[in-house]
Amino acid sequence: MTRNLVFASVLIAPVLLGQPPGNGPMPEAPGRAVVMQVCGTACHGPSVVTGAGRSRDQWTAVVNQMVARGAKASDAELGQIITYLSMNFGPGARPAGEPGGPGGGRGPAAGATGRGPGPLGSGAADSHVVDDAGAERGKAIFGAECNSCHGMKARGGNEALPATQRGPDLIRSMVVLKDRYGSLVSPFLAKGHPMRSGGDAKSLSPAQAGDLAHFLHQRVYATLRNGAELQILNILSGDSKAGATYFSGAGKCSGCHSVTGDFAGIGRRYDAVTLQQKFLFPRTVAFGRGAPPPQPSKPVRVTVTQANGQTVAGNLVSLDDFNVALRDGEGNYRSFTITPQMKVVKQDPLDAHVALLDEISDKNIHDVVAYLESLK
Amino acid sequence: MKKVVFGFCALALSAVVFGQSLDQSMLTKPPAGSWPMYNGDYSGRRFSPLTKINDGNVKSLSLSWLYRVNAGPGLGSNVSSTPVLVDGVLYFTVPDHVWAIDARTGREIWHHAHESKGGIHLGNRGVGIYGQWLYFETPDCNLVSLNLKDGKKRWQAPICEPDQMYFGSIAPLVINNHVITGVSGDDLDVPGYIESHDPETGARQWRFYTHPAVGSEDAKSWPSTEAMLHGGGMTWGSSTYDPELNLLYFGTGNPQPVIAGKARQGDNLYTESIIALNPDTGKMAWYYQVSPHDTHDWDANEVPILFDGVIDGKPRKLVAQAARNGYFFVLDRTNGKHVVTSKFAKANWAKGLNAKGQPMPDPAKDPAKDGVLVAPNQAGAANWPPASFSPQTGLFYVNATDAYSVYYIYDDDEKPEGWGGNDRGGWSKSTLKALDYKTGKAKWEHPWEGTGGPRSGVLSTAGNLVFAGDPQNNLVALDAASGKPLWHANLGARMSNGPMTYELDGHQYLVVAAGDMVFGFVMN
Repeated sequence: MTRNLVFASVLIAPVLLGQPPGNGPMPEAPGRAVVMQVCGTACHGPSVVTGAGRSRDQWTAVVNQMVARGAKASDAELGQIITYLSMNFGPGARPAGEPGGPGGGRGPAAGATGRGPGPLGSGAADSHVVDDAGAERGKAIFGAECNSCHGMKARGGNEALPATQRGPDLIRSMVVLKDRYGSLVSPFLAKGHPMRSGGDAKSLSPAQAGDLAHFLHQRVYATLRNGAELQILNILSGDSKAGATYFSGAGKCSGCHSVTGDFAGIGRRYDAVTLQQKFLFPRTVAFGRGAPPPQPSKPVRVTVTQANGQTVAGNLVSLDDFNVALRDGEGNYRSFTITPQMKVVKQDPLDAHVALLDEISDKNIHDVVAYLESLK
Repeated sequence: MKKVVFGFCALALSAVVFGQSLDQSMLTKPPAGSWPMYNGDYSGRRFSPLTKINDGNVKSLSLSWLYRVNAGPGLGSNVSSTPVLVDGVLYFTVPDHVWAIDARTGREIWHHAHESKGGIHLGNRGVGIYGQWLYFETPDCNLVSLNLKDGKKRWQAPICEPDQMYFGSIAPLVINNHVITGVSGDDLDVPGYIESHDPETGARQWRFYTHPAVGSEDAKSWPSTEAMLHGGGMTWGSSTYDPELNLLYFGTGNPQPVIAGKARQGDNLYTESIIALNPDTGKMAWYYQVSPHDTHDWDANEVPILFDGVIDGKPRKLVAQAARNGYFFVLDRTNGKHVVTSKFAKANWAKGLNAKGQPMPDPAKDPAKDGVLVAPNQAGAANWPPASFSPQTGLFYVNATDAYSVYYIYDDDEKPEGWGGNDRGGWSKSTLKALDYKTGKAKWEHPWEGTGGPRSGVLSTAGNLVFAGDPQNNLVALDAASGKPLWHANLGARMSNGPMTYELDGHQYLVVAAGDMVFGFVMN
């Protein structure tokens, strides 16, 4: 079942691409020995395997490809390999920042936020899996021979260049997008293609062409919505003095907060982006794509006055047009069906933050962030 | 020409009709109590003339059946499709899966699973049906035709290229001998297009790209041909159709690159526009851009709803859209001329309206490295969950979301590609609004408690009812004229599709999905 030879036709040179052993961790778990034996001896060091962060379906597709590329194993062994890889290198299995984790430039659509790998990942199930070491080698070739025409980021030559030296955008190239492990890039270059050194790309070995393919796919994946390089840049553009004025003036922040009290040293506790997000959206809802999970925050209070005049107050659990639920001072859960005779009064201590959204200017925001950041 | 083709088609089909089947007259003039396509009918109004469930008895609405889909974890099992009813059977989807269930009992009749070759499994809106055949799109870029009777595959035809990060998600629309398909996907800078396929063979009949012709006057809305040909404008919304004018209406998605727009100065036609096409030829009749040069991912793919109204004492054929960017538009659907624009939710990104009623983007609200506070957020003031128009009340019902988030530029390159930025964080609060199409102002509004927006559609009926979801997982029935909540059922998960209704054996049913559950309510 797993031995799917549908990819055999795209096999050209890539089988020859020897990968040096990497240092990525291969956790002890059932199936490890089979993975090492089938994948790790002749072709891969562990680094090409780890970090890809794929779902079981995607790993199945990768393994099928490897079978097509010559991996030798029984069906039972292939099943064990897929299970091992999807259990240990599945979506979300890697801590961010670790080698091969988000930041490694892998795709498709790997990333810590929003649409991650797995069933929501972009692109074809058999999409190219980038080998970081190969991509690094490819980057060196690209930097030496290609980027003068195709641009540093492979997005095509600068428009200031004469047309003859302006290479096309390779991120948008169907040769690249449909390539798998050099299957199209390698024959394209083998037909002959000028290089900066004056040589011809047909002099590149299949392994070098394969490395270029790794680099180009890495650039494509970096372009996707959740591309690993897409991070917030420096947001400290404001004027901290103006921020201080707004804090105690128009922003009315000092009505509730004190820079010598609850905000003492707040610039040490949070980075600038967190400060910005926290003061604008203290009760962030995880609704927009890419939104972080809700932060625990000051609870909403609610007071229910029943028809008989009895009052119950507590922290709001839920409220809609028909029912209200709360936890009272003793931690008891109480719920009521709302009637016309009943009064429900809600009080959110963070209402002032919501009201601020309609009033605050972007300059105020940047100034306040600069001010809070300066409170070390 | 069209008539000849249609005649042939109907003849061919009538010869083979048995069991479950649907003909074009059902689509053009659906009988009361039927729901033969995604929006119920071609107009997209999602208004049912049924009255057996009404404002007087809705409190007696009871659960008849519950069907739970199983297509794996996560969004993969989230039902965002609106079921289609044919001959007592409901057909609906999640990505890669189609079910046929008994509309009287919820019993599964068949289930078809597509063997996927990848693509984004974000959502699937459902099926199109004609004759004894069903059509749906897959994340791996295929239009698939199944036999209505048993769910067996007849053929599949490619509609896009997964390696360019396109994917399929919409419910195909059948018009005579055309199956209209759209494409999704904005990870890479690729052009949007809409296609027509032959219902018998799947062969492509025409493709319309959602950008102007190279060298045309409209092409000047892009800085270069390269930018235009990679400028996005996906067609992942639901289309509507006016049989008398023979015009197909659809909205287009965001321009590319999505957030970092500095290398695509100009209006970026025909992204985030409402477009009218001739479905026989794929030729554009007119367009109206609701968001010139957007940099916030505010696809204008919300359903363009068709209805006839009276403006300044004169009868008019109209089309209206409550757009993701926070503005409500009413146009003359014969020629695309502007009639009304109003703000239906918080929107702080425009300097005002131009002479054509288009909001003029304020460059100060373009995403920036240090963050810009924008309303609405990326999810928008409205989104794909369908709104509704009731000819009985003359009101346009939409779940409107007030929302703020901060938009950042992540890639400050001179030639950014893909996204190059995103929004983060946010606050949002939703309100069901009943808009008067003549003014764009709300006749009534019902704010939902709590924050967050319901991603659910709206249905209105001649029983003076509006059905909508709230953020607390309730399906709520409200008085269509006053907005007073009358009845609710907590579904245990947020309503995830647009409600639909039908009548069988003298009983009116109401069907709605929440997560992986499909609920059938009935008035006994």
